[in-house]
Amino acid sequence: MRRGYGPNRGLFSIEDVAAALGKLGDLFPSYQRFIPLTATAVLALTAYGVGAIFYPAMRDPQVFINIFRNNAYLLISAVGMTLVILTGGIDLSVSGMMALAGVASAALLREGWNAWAVILLILAMGMAFGATVGSIIAYTKVQPFIATLAGMWVARGLCFFISDDAIAIRDRTFHILGATKILIPGLSDPSAKQGDFVSIFVVVSFIVLAAAMYLTHYRRFGRTVYAIGGNEGRNEQSARLMGLPVNSTKVLVYTFNGFCSALAGIALAVNVMSGHGLYANGAELDVIASVVMGGTALSGGVGYVFGTLFGVFILGVTQTLIQFNGTLSSWWTRIVIGLLMLMFIGVQSLLAARKRGRGQAAAREDGARTSAAMRRRRLLILGGSGAIVALGIGVIAISLTRGPAGGETADTTSTPGSGRCELKPFRQDQAEIAVETGAVIAYERNGGPNCIDELYFIYPDGRIVGDDGVNKVEKQATPAEVDTLLAGIKELGWFTDEMYNTWHTPCKQCFGYYVTVSYDDQIKTVKGVDGGTDAPADYLVVISLLKAIVPGFTAVP
Amino acid sequence: MRQRKPSFSWRKVTESKLFFPLIAFALILLFDFIVVPGFFNIQVREGNLYGSLIDILRNGSTISLLAIGMTLVIATGGVDLSVGAVMAIAASVAALLMNPYVLATELPPNLMKLINDPNFTYLPLWIVILVALIVAIICGLWNGLLVAYVKIQPMVATLILMIAGRGIAQLITNGVRIQIFYKPYAFIGQGWIVLPFSLYIVALVFAIAWLLTRKTAIGMFIESVGINARSSFYSGIEEKKIKLLAYTFCGLCAGIAGLVASSNIKTSDAFNIGMTNELDAILAVVIGGTLMSGGRFSLLASIIGAWIIQGITTSMYAVGVPAFALQAIKGVVVILVILLYSEQVRGLVRRFGVQKGA
Repeated sequence: MRRGYGPNRGLFSIEDVAAALGKLGDLFPSYQRFIPLTATAVLALTAYGVGAIFYPAMRDPQVFINIFRNNAYLLISAVGMTLVILTGGIDLSVSGMMALAGVASAALLREGWNAWAVILLILAMGMAFGATVGSIIAYTKVQPFIATLAGMWVARGLCFFISDDAIAIRDRTFHILGATKILIPGLSDPSAKQGDFVSIFVVVSFIVLAAAMYLTHYRRFGRTVYAIGGNEGRNEQSARLMGLPVNSTKVLVYTFNGFCSALAGIALAVNVMSGHGLYANGAELDVIASVVMGGTALSGGVGYVFGTLFGVFILGVTQTLIQFNGTLSSWWTRIVIGLLMLMFIGVQSLLAARKRGRGQAAAREDGARTSAAMRRRRLLILGGSGAIVALGIGVIAISLTRGPAGGETADTTSTPGSGRCELKPFRQDQAEIAVETGAVIAYERNGGPNCIDELYFIYPDGRIVGDDGVNKVEKQATPAEVDTLLAGIKELGWFTDEMYNTWHTPCKQCFGYYVTVSYDDQIKTVKGVDGGTDAPADYLVVISLLKAIVPGFTAVP
Repeated sequence: MRQRKPSFSWRKVTESKLFFPLIAFALILLFDFIVVPGFFNIQVREGNLYGSLIDILRNGSTISLLAIGMTLVIATGGVDLSVGAVMAIAASVAALLMNPYVLATELPPNLMKLINDPNFTYLPLWIVILVALIVAIICGLWNGLLVAYVKIQPMVATLILMIAGRGIAQLITNGVRIQIFYKPYAFIGQGWIVLPFSLYIVALVFAIAWLLTRKTAIGMFIESVGINARSSFYSGIEEKKIKLLAYTFCGLCAGIAGLVASSNIKTSDAFNIGMTNELDAILAVVIGGTLMSGGRFSLLASIIGAWIIQGITTSMYAVGVPAFALQAIKGVVVILVILLYSEQVRGLVRRFGVQKGA
């Protein structure tokens, strides 16, 4: 630590490299500090390996690379968050900033600004925002939790000052940024321009990662960051007394995080080619979870930026596994992440307890009692982690046995679409014609894990006709049933002015619905996707009412 | 002869925990008085009271309930991020128990009648409420165990349930938003007995919490644990049990809030119920003057904090600010309020008072 911090040093010197190597060597004996990181890495790769055994499609290297492609924005943001958490703080405003960066860049591009100018401006905005929040935290001693929470509300609210609706991005530069495929040497055929590839933002995210690693581990700045957060945040006063620039470092850290979130927002906007104030809703939780799973302690001062890479990776693997499984619903991601976090935190607190126990045993005579207590706690933590792992394996096993009959065959027949259905265009014209010819309800459902496409028409006399994409289906219900159904739908306020046509971005694994109801001389149409937040509150109730009467409905499609 | 102290002293008033929250609430009401005509009008319809002021109290009841539990947790030096998720879990459990048919593969033939019938419920209401609250208490116990016995940092320990909880809630209802038609259940959030029924629930929970903390030694124990857990332990307070109690009570409060919220929108919306409410609740407690680091607390001040947050929302709607833009204004107001709370400003106010008094 002492070496290489002399005044008037150049950016790089032999000394630097030597110090770096020496430091690497120094770190190995204290391998314990790497346990959480290693655990994450091993677990992530094991999970991927297990997935590859069960789902042959996952053996495609591109699936592996896609984890980074889909989560590049998460990685960028998580790197910034790691620094903030290392100082013992937290930043909840990242998701708001991502949404704001997306909306602002989309709006500016719509006005015909130059794409590069927009990107620079957005990054500057992110840094200014971060600096403001950071200053409030550093100089007025407001809790980071509260200050960044307010920051999130401000950022998300500002999005809607810019635009209520999603703004599409049609800029050529942004399109190129999103569509460019960087072929990977060895896994691709450059002459044919085919093979496995990464996107530009994967490269950008790794550059950010490397830069942050350099900053934290090889610069004075990083040393100060660790000093502020050390000893569960209680070191801040000591750092101040040592003469370290605590306040300015804090401001810098939040500024860096603001930069990262703005960059992540641009990455997200390029990914979906649009900007909206509801994008990245709740992403701060994913970001924080990745950082924690990467081995960084939320109390500050412990962890490595590099670990965050694995944290993001494990999140991505979880999502991929759930997608490939097909029978598990999207909310399982949340539960699995929660369980994984519990496990990592358990490991961390076990290590902390061991360290503390060792210190106490050396300092005290009554080591026997302490170690007994410690052993009990270790047992508790190990037992808990074991139980969680068992539970996780159990869940996966159950879902596998319940999975689409013979995972292998299902995979080979529909490999490209397996778990990754894009929603098909709704067959609106067909529905319109049917309604004109007397149907009271047209109900379409498509997408979902098995890529279905169903369209049904319900007539007032109880006749239900339709097709499930392949075969024609017919069923006779009683007119009374149809009447009750319509009355139920009316009860929900569908024939008031509140109901309107709505549409929002499809998600993977979701079903898209298209429902037209003709009643009381009014025709109302609603389009939507389940699992979304902005569908009208009663919309899914109508879907569940419809599912009850429509033929061929089963709870698990 | 000793001079009698004046019964009213500026210092005493400013040092009261209620002073700053009340000032902030008064400022919001003053703003409404000037900007929104008729804001203070209260109508009497069928013996029940209606009006913007009542709306603030009624809509703020969820956050008030959360804030009561959160106050105790924050006073022990912790924080509970999972209350929003626990709300969703409680709401899902309640809705499922009232109408489990929605999830069934084999649908009963008279389904349409059953789920539209305002008098239909699968289990009696008291069992529904009891089971939902027990589930919420279990959630609170889980948090308390992690914090007190496994010694995980509170923010991290409760973050686990915050992330997983919403998934669990969706798992319970299988991702379906169960519509609640049962009328007596709707009364919890939408009923009126002169005042909104949910206000009586808040009052009841507040009374229980107040009696528990101010008429027994538990309140002092909680403060003592929040100020210094170790020294409390050495002076014979079972700090682990105190923490466990605080988190369990917070879980219970979140469960009640979940019932109120779900009966208010008549749906078990696992995805949206209680979304970001944990942040509102923490904010309410902070506005109420309880330090995030723990220690002295005031339940009443926290409830006023909740009213302040709801007051901002309601008055912004009254002025005509669009719902989404509201967030930005809320954020700015929060920063202003918190700056108002910083030691510098407080010191300034006190000095000002002392000079005037002298």
